[in-house]
Amino acid sequence: MTVRAVRFPRLRGGLTPWLFLLPALLIFAAFKFVPAVRAIEMSFHEVRPYLGDRWVGTDNYGTVLSDADFGAAVWHTVVLAVGQTAGSILLGLVLALLLEGTARHLWFIRTAVFLPTVVAVAVVAEVWRILYFPGAEGILNSVFGWFGLGPSDFLNSRDSSLSSIMAVGIWRGAPYDMMIILAGLAGVDRSLYEASAIDGAGRWRRLWHVTFPGLRPVFVILLTLAAIRGLRVFTEVFLLTNGDPQGSTEVLMTLIYKLGLERHDLGTAAAGSIVLLLATVTLTLAVRARRKVGTT
Amino acid sequence: MTRTTALVVTAVLAGGLVACSGSAAEVPQDENARLDIWTRRPPGDPSEQVSKDLAKAFTKKTGIPTKVTAIFDDFETKLQQAASQKDLPDIVINDTAQLGTLVDQGIVREVDPGEVSRTKDISDKAWDATKAFDGKHYAVPFSAQAFALFIRSDWRKAVGAEVPKTWDDLDALAKKFTKDDPDGNGEDDTYGWVVPGSTKRGYASWYLSSFLWSSGADYFSGSGTKLAPAIDSPEAAATLSWFQKSFCDKTVVPGSETAETAAAHPYFDSGTGGMYLTGPYNMARFDEAVGEGKVEVVPLPAGPGGEATALAEGENTYLMAGSANEAGQLKFAEFAASPAGQKIGMNGDENGSIVRLPINTTVDMAAERKDERWQTFNDIYTDASRYVPTVPDWTPFLQSSAKTFNAVASDCEADPESELEALAKDFATELESQRAGG
Repeated sequence: MTVRAVRFPRLRGGLTPWLFLLPALLIFAAFKFVPAVRAIEMSFHEVRPYLGDRWVGTDNYGTVLSDADFGAAVWHTVVLAVGQTAGSILLGLVLALLLEGTARHLWFIRTAVFLPTVVAVAVVAEVWRILYFPGAEGILNSVFGWFGLGPSDFLNSRDSSLSSIMAVGIWRGAPYDMMIILAGLAGVDRSLYEASAIDGAGRWRRLWHVTFPGLRPVFVILLTLAAIRGLRVFTEVFLLTNGDPQGSTEVLMTLIYKLGLERHDLGTAAAGSIVLLLATVTLTLAVRARRKVGTT
Repeated sequence: MTRTTALVVTAVLAGGLVACSGSAAEVPQDENARLDIWTRRPPGDPSEQVSKDLAKAFTKKTGIPTKVTAIFDDFETKLQQAASQKDLPDIVINDTAQLGTLVDQGIVREVDPGEVSRTKDISDKAWDATKAFDGKHYAVPFSAQAFALFIRSDWRKAVGAEVPKTWDDLDALAKKFTKDDPDGNGEDDTYGWVVPGSTKRGYASWYLSSFLWSSGADYFSGSGTKLAPAIDSPEAAATLSWFQKSFCDKTVVPGSETAETAAAHPYFDSGTGGMYLTGPYNMARFDEAVGEGKVEVVPLPAGPGGEATALAEGENTYLMAGSANEAGQLKFAEFAASPAGQKIGMNGDENGSIVRLPINTTVDMAAERKDERWQTFNDIYTDASRYVPTVPDWTPFLQSSAKTFNAVASDCEADPESELEALAKDFATELESQRAGG
């Protein structure tokens, strides 16, 4: 009796967490781990879904890495990721500082501001294509016209296409960042504001010396999420320009899509995906390492 | 509790194993097995219903059950997924231009035209579009079409112009449509050309091919396995310069550099652009959008030094590999190409036709359709059209040429000649890797 009473809880103690994890693990295995392993396998093969794959060694990696478009796509992806991340955090911060509080109308405005994030990307892209119509009679160009500017080609010139996509990304990403920053702001100890006010700190010094340090963990999370999201940017680019014009908005994911699903060269596309995966993992680890250095 | 979990785990694993098994080898045949038919149509579109009507008539005639699935977006991707699961549909009705890719993947069966009933009734030109690089046929023809120029006739009359007969006429009309306020609304909001100039699915090259051929240019020279790039010819450079100029002169609807067909059609619908080289499937749509009698269809005029040649396309009935009812597959393809099948597919003058031009020479199109513009398309297809070049896999050529054409169109500083020279080098490499270069 006593033996049982001792052994049973210990066994259960070991198994219980795994039992709770099992459903998630099974789903992850089916939809993430198995496909990821398959992608690694595919990257070393000429993939022929019906006839059977052919081993090609590292040829696919050679094709991807020596492709002139690949280098350009990496550059566009990095520019887009950095621009969208910085823009979204900055705009999100401004919005959060403006809309912090418990008043009822603020709640309403916050919900309205959050809308771009929850609307389907396909709809967002369609709306922005209309706003960006590059003729002088286009909606945004008409607005520019009031100030004697434009008309701009927006998505349709290689000089402005990437920044136009970036603007859509910021418009869509900022409210999301705003929500996380709002949550962070609520966690900043109110007594610190009072103490600094008593010490004679003005609005800006309170922001700089109390609010921002209090938000540091929030910024780390936002940066990590944005770095990963930024490298995998696809839908906005695919729907707005598909890498055009002149390849000026080609990013890694649109390039991989073209290789795999338009040219049916799934092996090379898989190799491209693995390179992207390695880059994402490296970047995430780097951010984490920095975070550890920062906290110790 | 644990037992249930174990059961769930077992079930999931077993499901996974079942999904992974299956083989492309011999499949036991059953002459009454249901035929799964995939067709590249937007779900909910009238053409989906016409496809179902066709299958229903086939079932009524032969007793073989069918199931029609309409898929439009990412059709080829979904087909690849089905291929990797070794669970292909029995029949696929899809573009003629997909032939090389399907053959390359080994997912379509060879067809001997001699075995197809009343094979002589099917036009030779349509049979040509079922022939792969190896000279063998891999489908039965189903529908044909060629491209023609759609013009807003009310606009043309408003600016006092004749139907264009030369490329100079085209330029003049495009300028008038852009500058002379053809819709009379007092605003500067109209343009000459509607162009799907995106690289998506190779649209820029797909669109420009008719213009290239009409000016005497070509993608390749030679034939069979002795092909050489010809895309860097002076004629091709002149055509691309002309294309670039229409963008830089702003006679093309702005935004066309990134427009695929789904984005381009609405420019014609909404009265933004007045000329559009496209296929007959847009007639019903455009009539509805801008009003009947306001859209005329004329052949693309010959370019400088060339003969008028429009891109021919169409759809084939592909018999997919691994079917449990191979006899039924052939019967369906035969029925779809027969006068009865073709008439259902044509759907008269109504929207939703899936047979644009009948490939069966015994079908009298004029008896089925009152709209005379169909006859214009028929004449162009028969006398002045050609399919894309026969190479093992056309897609890489289509993509790389679309990229070059898009680049030149969206940059007034770009030099067409040097861009085409670079493209010719890409073509040479690709021809070699497809073992088609001489």
